[in-house]
Amino acid sequence: MRGRERIAIAISIVIFVLLLSLVLTAGGLGYILPPPKIRDIPLIYLIRSYWPFSKYFTVMSPEVVTSIVWDFRGLDTLFETVVFYLAIIASIAVMRGIFSSKKEVDLAKLGMSPIVKTVTKITIGMILAVAASIALHGHLTPGGGFQGGATAAVVSLVMLVVFSKYYLETHGVSKNSMLVIRSLGLLGVGLTAFIVVIIGLLNGVNAYVFQNQPKIVADVGMPVTIGGALISGTLWFFNLFEMFAVAAGFTIIFLLLAIPEKEVLEQLKKEVAGE
Amino acid sequence: MSPELVVFAVLALLGLVSVIATYLAVIERDLVKAILFSAIQSTAYAFIYYLLMAPDIVLVYIPVAVGLYPAIVLFLIKKTERYEAE
Repeated sequence: MRGRERIAIAISIVIFVLLLSLVLTAGGLGYILPPPKIRDIPLIYLIRSYWPFSKYFTVMSPEVVTSIVWDFRGLDTLFETVVFYLAIIASIAVMRGIFSSKKEVDLAKLGMSPIVKTVTKITIGMILAVAASIALHGHLTPGGGFQGGATAAVVSLVMLVVFSKYYLETHGVSKNSMLVIRSLGLLGVGLTAFIVVIIGLLNGVNAYVFQNQPKIVADVGMPVTIGGALISGTLWFFNLFEMFAVAAGFTIIFLLLAIPEKEVLEQLKKEVAGE
Repeated sequence: MSPELVVFAVLALLGLVSVIATYLAVIERDLVKAILFSAIQSTAYAFIYYLLMAPDIVLVYIPVAVGLYPAIVLFLIKKTERYEAE
């Protein structure tokens, strides 16, 4: 039975690979890959993402992907953020009423050996620096808020494994504090989406939700530079807030999953017994 | 050999590695080993994305698919069972 199962899995993978190769060799994506000529819409995005000659059709960011993600197609990214937020809320709801017990233990004895802990303490700073540079330079180089946030979440994961969950919770990284950071991050994303509308209302000018640079019928926008440094209007703020929201969201999931199964079952039994 | 051909050859090799790792991950009964094979597949994909000039995807793919996702599934395995039943 098991041999047959293996053969079935192998055959299905081989068929999948062969069909995909057939489509590619038959010219499904064109005969030359990558295609020598860019299609029209990507070409417009490529040219217009940094176009200082006309302020009405540009994002003023040399990073085309971030321009598309947070400006040309900003609403898509907003809803993607909302979906991620709902997933986190759902997992918090599943684990409602379950608290990790506060053990009176020596924190130094938990986790891995002092060698691993020392190395981790050094690398944590490096990971955070990389995460911050990915997120805050998201409008200049490849990267962005989600990428930076996911990288920063690796820090909490590593600390969870190396230092134990109790170490994190006694140092202020608890489910509730992370939920506050996550909510503040999302609030920031929401406010940044509306900031040009607010500026427009204050100046009595027409403006749109998710507007970044001035448009012909809405001649207000965010500043392109601050103190000579390019921030590309709203993009820098979106990346900053998204980084905090994503990093805190992943940390919540890790903290919930790290509660020992024994404690979860005990608390569930108490709940069933009606205590 | 032209540089482009080298890139295509490396892409093909990585594709082959990822297919084999996927097969091993599917048939493996020990779920911890299955996660390791899945992480190998993700690593191959990360290189493929980089060679296909998608650095934005690489930056999100490496922490999520190589770091966070195997970690979350490892947590789940710790809470349930390590070996898949026959």
